Amino acid sequence: MKKFKIAIDANQDLLKFKNLGEERRKAIERGSTTHVNASSFTNNLVEMIHPKGIKVEVVQIIEETEDTKSFYLKPVKLESMPPFLPGQYVTLTVTINGKTYKRPYSISNFLKSLEMYRITVKKEKNGMVSTYLFNECEVGETFNLLGPFGHFTYQPLRDGKDVVFLAGGSGITPFMAFLQNQAFLEKIHSLTLLYGAKSEFDLIFKKEIDEICSKNKKIQVIYVLSEQKRSDYAYGFIDEEKILQIGFENKTFFVSGPLKMYFSLNEIFKKLDIPNKFIRHEIFREVPEDLVEQNFQLTIKMKDKTLTIPCNEKETLIQSMEKGRVKTLVHCTVGECGFCRSKLLAGTVKTEDSCVRASDKEAHYIHPCVSYPLSDVIIEIPL
Amino acid sequence: MNNKEYDVIVIGAGNAGLVAALTLQKKGKKVLLLEKGRVVGGLSSSFIRGRFEFDTSLHPICEFGSKENSGVIYDLFSRLEIVDKLSVEALPEAFAVYSLDHKKKYVMPVGKDAFILKMEEYVPDSTKSMEEFFSLCEEIESALSYIRENKGHFDMEVLLKKYPYFMAIASYSVKKVLKKINMPLKAQEILCSYWSYLGSPVSKLSFVQYASTIYSCITRGPVIFKKGSHAISLLLSEEFIKNGGTLRCLTGVKEILVKDNEVTGVVTDSNEKFLTKHILANLSPNVVYGNLILDNVVPNKAKSLTNSRSFGARGVSVYIGLNKTKEELGLENMTYFIYHSLNSDKEFKRMHGVFSGNLTAILKNSSIDSSCLVLSSLIFGGAFDKLVTKENYFAMKEKFAESLVSSFEEATGVNIRDAIEEIEVATPVTFARYTGHPEGVIYGYMATSYDNLIPRILNEENEIFIKGLHFCGSFASWLSSSSATYINGEQEALKTLEEMENEKV
Ligand SMILES: Cc1cc2nc3c(=O)[nH]c(=O)nc-3n(C[C@H](O)[C@H](O)[C@H](O)COP(=O)(O)OP(=O)(O)OC[C@H]3O[C@@H](n4cnc5c(N)ncnc54)[C@H](O)[C@@H]3O)c2cc1C
Ligand code: FES
Repeated sequence: MKKFKIAIDANQDLLKFKNLGEERRKAIERGSTTHVNASSFTNNLVEMIHPKGIKVEVVQIIEETEDTKSFYLKPVKLESMPPFLPGQYVTLTVTINGKTYKRPYSISNFLKSLEMYRITVKKEKNGMVSTYLFNECEVGETFNLLGPFGHFTYQPLRDGKDVVFLAGGSGITPFMAFLQNQAFLEKIHSLTLLYGAKSEFDLIFKKEIDEICSKNKKIQVIYVLSEQKRSDYAYGFIDEEKILQIGFENKTFFVSGPLKMYFSLNEIFKKLDIPNKFIRHEIFREVPEDLVEQNFQLTIKMKDKTLTIPCNEKETLIQSMEKGRVKTLVHCTVGECGFCRSKLLAGTVKTEDSCVRASDKEAHYIHPCVSYPLSDVIIEIPL
Repeated sequence: MNNKEYDVIVIGAGNAGLVAALTLQKKGKKVLLLEKGRVVGGLSSSFIRGRFEFDTSLHPICEFGSKENSGVIYDLFSRLEIVDKLSVEALPEAFAVYSLDHKKKYVMPVGKDAFILKMEEYVPDSTKSMEEFFSLCEEIESALSYIRENKGHFDMEVLLKKYPYFMAIASYSVKKVLKKINMPLKAQEILCSYWSYLGSPVSKLSFVQYASTIYSCITRGPVIFKKGSHAISLLLSEEFIKNGGTLRCLTGVKEILVKDNEVTGVVTDSNEKFLTKHILANLSPNVVYGNLILDNVVPNKAKSLTNSRSFGARGVSVYIGLNKTKEELGLENMTYFIYHSLNSDKEFKRMHGVFSGNLTAILKNSSIDSSCLVLSSLIFGGAFDKLVTKENYFAMKEKFAESLVSSFEEATGVNIRDAIEEIEVATPVTFARYTGHPEGVIYGYMATSYDNLIPRILNEENEIFIKGLHFCGSFASWLSSSSATYINGEQEALKTLEEMENEKV
């Protein structure tokens, strides 16, 4: 080592070093011996913005169409609901005949007061929860709600100022929150809503949409009916021609609707060479077509117990767990959020892993809400 | 020992908790690792948006190096036998620092000689002081390694004999020492660009701490882990389990049981009780003394120490998936420091406001046609709390994103917003949500005067206020960087081991 003089104060440096510990001991003695604070303002904000679960009561039910109802949900204990961005969803926990199901529903309104959320549910053929909600749920019933979650949201830094919403059927629900959100409407220059349904009677929220449009010149709406020809509506599906008509340069598309619509639109976007950046999709589950009716065993290893239940190739592991009365950890149910992340200890599954972390894939983690068993399966869940 | 009884219980599976648990398990102890979240790793995790996987705490690791020139983290991961399972990407530069106010950019290379040469180019007549700086660093590195080898109970006489320079400067700040070796001010400022990664300005930052980090960065070159932090967290947890350890996720601890000033066990959120005489808490003392132990058995000294400390930095991070590679964007560097000026004391003050525009950035390609950019900005003090409410939270997130992106674009002169395909913003609320740390602090306690690295280490022995209860992680002795928490995890594990040995005697 080169020799040079470093001493800052030759006589003091060593003493100073030795005193470092002593100074600290003195500081400790000066400190207050009152109760130690473990949380603060920020920790309280966490509770308000990301509550672990909210008990809500159904305060109003409105029949929107023949097969669709809206439910207004008000918090039972909290003063108001957590803040959210238009396009986000909540996960509703519903217990039917002793079995617990969790289903995501887009928030279909936006009240500045956050006094209540509205969700709008379409009765699905053979749908467990949607049928229950449609046929049996009454005002006064309470549910546990998780969320809000989701990234089907407008980001001013990323998205264009000219926005196109493409809605199919009950896929209109998230867009209702956008249309009612002044902060969003102020950020954009123009908004075109293409809303497709079978007939005018299947258009949910038509009156509400027309009213919003009449008050805001930025918004243009085009209804597209596929099974009814009327001069004042467009006819057919949301197709290339209609997209060319409204133009696509520098526009950001938000798409929410049935699977068929995603696939046909994707073809169109590809053909028109529209970059990914300009296309936002509501999340969905694609059910593989080549699955066959075949029974297997699903073994679930938990912290201090192991359960074995029947499962079937045609059902996701989560669906089997719901049927088998096993507690599940789910938010989105469609493979996107990662909340159901579980380790596959044995067996094979057919699964969708585009939202599984790269290193998780290598370590055999799966998202059971989008995993179909192809053999007997053992998974481990952190419950 | 029944199945509810463990040699050691580690609370929290962050960097330090994971390393501690694995270290102890490898030494043949029966270890229970409890984690309140679903996934291990704490802040070393990742999340997915679209086609991008974002590392929650993507940043350069300065203390890794390579097999030939290994840093302390390389050595630690070798001892844990995981080093062969990791692949790293070397960053092309030590760092690039920008001054917004002066419209200046300095890119500093890896390698001592190259670094000194480049500094001479930027700041004529700086070479002599840079050489002195490096020789001090060499001694500091040896001295720290001596301290670590002795798990903190070192011999003053040995230190004095073998590391006289270390002893002479150990109690001083970066600013004092660099001034003393007559480093030109501009060279000091460039050399100290890394200050915000360590969370204190040069007048408060301990020279020892800064020198050890930057020295390793320059001589070994910073790296990032190719598969990201989550991959390491997962690897550590899998090795722990393979070695026979018990890991429980979604298991929060609600009480640490203490009897006659000794720990006896823990109670979980679901009222399960586990017994042990040794607890390693990868949590803040605020939460442990304030929430987990009955107030009337918390010793007064534990309270007064905890109450006398102040929190370090909080942060905002913006995670951006770009639909272009860094080359397509025309951005050469991977690690950026962007400040209004290079005067850290001045900028430290500015960062007591929330939209300071000062930031650190890491940019890496994520596929043949895309890249990930993570922008992070520190916030000191309580300004965030004055500004943010439940109602304006999302609007504020947008403002944070706008402020950081604008700053990055202004400094580099490159438009990135047109290439943004995915974007996510994390705030102190996000960090508080995932870590449970008070105020969402990410840098532990403020490292300053009596709460700096050396006094923390010197006093560790005296600060075991409850027998069997040790702290590890960002709120513990070795401070808060990701490297520091890994190191600290091992240190605390070894101390606990020593305690157990002593009990046997
Ligand atoms: C982010 C998100 C937001 C949603 N928002 C709304 C909304 O606003 N309004 C609304 O009515 N519904 C919405 N859904 C769908 C909703 O969550 C339920 O899937 C739907 O109500 C059917 O549930 P069920 O219990 O009645 O049917 P189930 O008993 O679960 O299933 C009935 C049939 O549908 C299939 N199926 C169920 N869920 C899906 C799925 N997600 N994708 C493909 N096939 C499926 C099953 O395989 C089965 O054949 C949303 C879904 C997601 C992921
Ligand atoms: S519940 Fe979201 S991924 Fe399975």
